[in-house]
Amino acid sequence: MFDRIRAFHRPTSVAQALRLFEAERRRGGRGRWVAGGTDLVVQRERTLRWLVDLTCLPLGYVRRVRGGWAIGATTHMAEIEHSKTLLALANGILAEAAGTCGSRQIRNMATIGGNLANASPACDLAPPLLALDASVVIAGRGGRRTVPLDRFFRGVNRTALNGGLLVEIRVPAPPKGKAAWSYQKLGRLQSDIAVVNASAGVVLDERGFCTRARIALGAVAPTPLRARRAEALLEGRRLDGAAIDAAADQAAAEAKPVTDVRGTAEYRRAMCRVLVSRALEECARRVGRSL
Amino acid sequence: MSDLIVHVTVNGEARRWRVEPGDLLLDVLRREGLWGVKRGCETGECGACAVLLDGEPINSCLMFAAQADGRELLTIEGVADGEKLHPVQEAFLDHGAVQCGYCTPAMVLCAKELLERSPKPTEAEVREALSGVLCRCTGYKKPVEAILAAAAAAPKTRGKTARRRRAAR
Repeated sequence: MFDRIRAFHRPTSVAQALRLFEAERRRGGRGRWVAGGTDLVVQRERTLRWLVDLTCLPLGYVRRVRGGWAIGATTHMAEIEHSKTLLALANGILAEAAGTCGSRQIRNMATIGGNLANASPACDLAPPLLALDASVVIAGRGGRRTVPLDRFFRGVNRTALNGGLLVEIRVPAPPKGKAAWSYQKLGRLQSDIAVVNASAGVVLDERGFCTRARIALGAVAPTPLRARRAEALLEGRRLDGAAIDAAADQAAAEAKPVTDVRGTAEYRRAMCRVLVSRALEECARRVGRSL
Repeated sequence: MSDLIVHVTVNGEARRWRVEPGDLLLDVLRREGLWGVKRGCETGECGACAVLLDGEPINSCLMFAAQADGRELLTIEGVADGEKLHPVQEAFLDHGAVQCGYCTPAMVLCAKELLERSPKPTEAEVREALSGVLCRCTGYKKPVEAILAAAAAAPKTRGKTARRRRAAR
């Protein structure tokens, strides 16, 4: 299937990987980065001439860092799913989302960096990472730059990478206060590609008012996105049933779904509303508020 | 097209493969005569091509052969100890868990890995471990029963190596 590939590079450092990628790019012919292969191989691009493999780079890690957490780009979904550090972060929504990313074999191969860089609208980790204000660190010829995740996705399978290499995901420590998060996914099975997915995060003050709200949607637009107007409706309000209804309506209005084999646009919009509502209700339960 | 040399351990034996840069692991394993690694959907969904890579199940149809360099692979051909079948294989026979047999190698490997990490699994854990292997005869009940029976019959010491492996990471 990939009989036109003439070079398969296996660098052991980021600097070497960038040099190889650049040299191949100058030589010409289509090439890509590859890690787990779970998207790349399935996409069956017969015109690929070269690949730069990332599985020998020292980028498989989950670390506490100053101001938050850092996750190496080639950390497997299975490692995220079982990471004690991530299970303890934000009600474990990153671990939960990673645990729904395909079968066990897929989760042993697929990486968090690949999940994001593939830029599928239904990307499992995007909604929880967007709800956590995550950024990605991109290494390139000019050094490293940090891009907020909500500016990373540019379209279906399109990102701000621009030939650079995604090396790390940064998750800032959430603000102090009563906080809760939720991840919701709708698929025929939990491990299927999402028909719709969503995440919510809320921070409440001592009176129960929302000081910060995050609502992130997946599979309802060309890219995963934040429903900013829905978030704005919640901030400054008490997190009650009426506020949740209003925010869920608004989030569904911000969705721009399409019809495909997994669902119609109408169904997706309706389910987007349901998932946002469930996510916010779960957040409310998790901070101990009865609705 | 320059060939690559891949040093890999397959079923306990060191191997030196000459592969093309675009070769997939599934194709190379079958070319090497390991026909228990089945070609199914080739899109990572059916799991019939599953093998254990450093002890953990992966789909060999999605991995490039070059990526196996320096790693350890176990296929169904390496599960039995000579003529002596693995307890999971014995249990599959005892429970009539094999129909057409196409998914059986992958199911046995996934079950073996599960019992090494969780020697006394619940039925839900067994079903989760098999969820990435699709049976085209749709016969899941007997494999689940077989794996639970193999777990029930096993002495309690199993699972140590898997735990040690995980702790080392």
